[in-house]
Amino acid sequence: MIPVGAYVAVSVALFALGVICIVSRRNIIYVLMGIEMILNSASINFAAFGRYNGDGLEGRIFVIFIIILAAAEAAVALAIVLNVFHLFHTIKPSEVDLLRE
Amino acid sequence: MFALTDLHLEGFRLLSPEITLVTVSLVILVMDLLGRGRNMTAIALVSLGGLALTAFQLVAAFNDQPATAFGLVAVDKFGNFFKLFTCGALAVVIFFVMSDRREKSTHIGEYYFLLLGAGIGIFFMVGTNNLLLLVLGLELLSLSSYSLAGFHKGEKRSAEAAMKYIVFGGLSAGVMVYGVSLLYGLTGTLNLKVMAGVAGAVGEGHTVSLAAAVTDSPGAVAAAMVLILGGFSYKISVAPFHFWAPDVYEGAPTPVTTFLAVASKAAGFGALLRFIGVLFMSPGTQEAVAAYGLQVGQLVAVLAAVTMTIGNLAALRQESVKRMLAYSSVAHAGYILVGVVAMDKAGFDAAMLYLAAYYFMNLGAFGFLLYFHGVTGKETFESLNGMGYRAPLISISMVVFLISLTGLPPSVGFYGKMTLIYAAWDKGINWLIICLLINSVISLFYYVRVAKHLFLMKPSEETAQPQPAMTGFLVAMAGLTVVFGLWATPLLEWTSSSMDLLAAR
Repeated sequence: MIPVGAYVAVSVALFALGVICIVSRRNIIYVLMGIEMILNSASINFAAFGRYNGDGLEGRIFVIFIIILAAAEAAVALAIVLNVFHLFHTIKPSEVDLLRE
Repeated sequence: MFALTDLHLEGFRLLSPEITLVTVSLVILVMDLLGRGRNMTAIALVSLGGLALTAFQLVAAFNDQPATAFGLVAVDKFGNFFKLFTCGALAVVIFFVMSDRREKSTHIGEYYFLLLGAGIGIFFMVGTNNLLLLVLGLELLSLSSYSLAGFHKGEKRSAEAAMKYIVFGGLSAGVMVYGVSLLYGLTGTLNLKVMAGVAGAVGEGHTVSLAAAVTDSPGAVAAAMVLILGGFSYKISVAPFHFWAPDVYEGAPTPVTTFLAVASKAAGFGALLRFIGVLFMSPGTQEAVAAYGLQVGQLVAVLAAVTMTIGNLAALRQESVKRMLAYSSVAHAGYILVGVVAMDKAGFDAAMLYLAAYYFMNLGAFGFLLYFHGVTGKETFESLNGMGYRAPLISISMVVFLISLTGLPPSVGFYGKMTLIYAAWDKGINWLIICLLINSVISLFYYVRVAKHLFLMKPSEETAQPQPAMTGFLVAMAGLTVVFGLWATPLLEWTSSSMDLLAAR
């Protein structure tokens, strides 16, 4: 049996990559991908911990809900980004900056 | 086989406010589709009626014993407080949408639908001891808020606000879910009571109390706590997760800003108080867990001090009243956190009392902003010049709200701040009290600036257009601000009896 630490290592790596993806902020699509990666890293954790937790189904149910959450969030996010693209003709966060100090 | 048992019926009875709200929101959606933008007033009235019915059901259930519906939804007085708060705030926001002169959209039905959808999210978020339902409620609130922030589709600023909101919101939701996954891995359960090791609370599968996890792997517990608190910090706009707040508050339509500043923030506090309260302070919590809670309190103390200072210093140099109110709401999140730091029932009572005070004064201040934006089309301090003589009632009400926001007597804000200071004083957190007092003095500068522009500057050529409903609302809010400042007993009793989560210590 693969030790649970291996799963956690993968999920931590994926989480870190997601954060890097968001913080570099070149393009709004990267940012959204980063958010998906973070959510999926949490999914890996839940699935792995659920497997090692014996009878409990909570972890595995949480994974299904994360998939739904990610889909809903992507739908809303893409609608908003599309609207931003119509108005600003760019999706680079650095060029969308009317609101500032 | 699945069969409807008495237990299910009991669950449905407990959830009747939520069911009402869901039904009403669906009715609105259908009305909007059928009416094609012609029955706006009817839709607004149906929403208000639905909220009134929900509030009535909540009030009727006020004295019920705490219960759990379907093993997930905790129905108790604590949740009841925040649900009633949400109903009240949503009703005012809907009133704001109706009286917003700049609102020319023909899709108002969707506006109300999204507002009620966010309300349903809040209901589940503040009413559960299960982290899965908490995350789902929070996401329902967040997703509705993103769409609301970008509601003015053709406006660049609104679109930008929505984009910034969803980027920050998505990141912090992800971070929070990751924290929850760590906590699940450590304890084997998503139920806060089982985690806390409360006697009688049994989870499914193999569970470990947080007490064991704290001693076995303190690093992982600390990481989980930091990540989850990070998620909450974003929702209540606490530093260092407050960057979205000024931009989103400024770009979003004013009624939506009001919703974010009042209802959404209170919901974040509701979930945070429940998380900390149930995990670290519920009756029968193990010693090690309670001791760990005190360490979390230390972290929250630092967050509170930093948040109020950043919020107030930034508010000082704003030219837009809306942006100033945004930073002021960041600062107020810091004040409320002082109650959390105390880590006892008195502190949590104080935080809830301050939230109740915050309801009156902040809804009033945003109503004022909405009215003047409707008159002048601008939100700068200069645009208020001399308007105090054109619209005296509204301006005097605003001065009352400003007094209350600063925390001067005789206002409910003063009473709220005093209770917070007492709670912190009891615990000997004196440095935080000094920080709070210094910050209140700083905040006086920018609040007085509004009054100065209203009454002491040369009037511009703008004429105020009367708006009787709004005037009446603001005068009523100002009246309540003063009345509860002089006689806060009802509010105090309500908040104190609503804190039924915690053990008396």
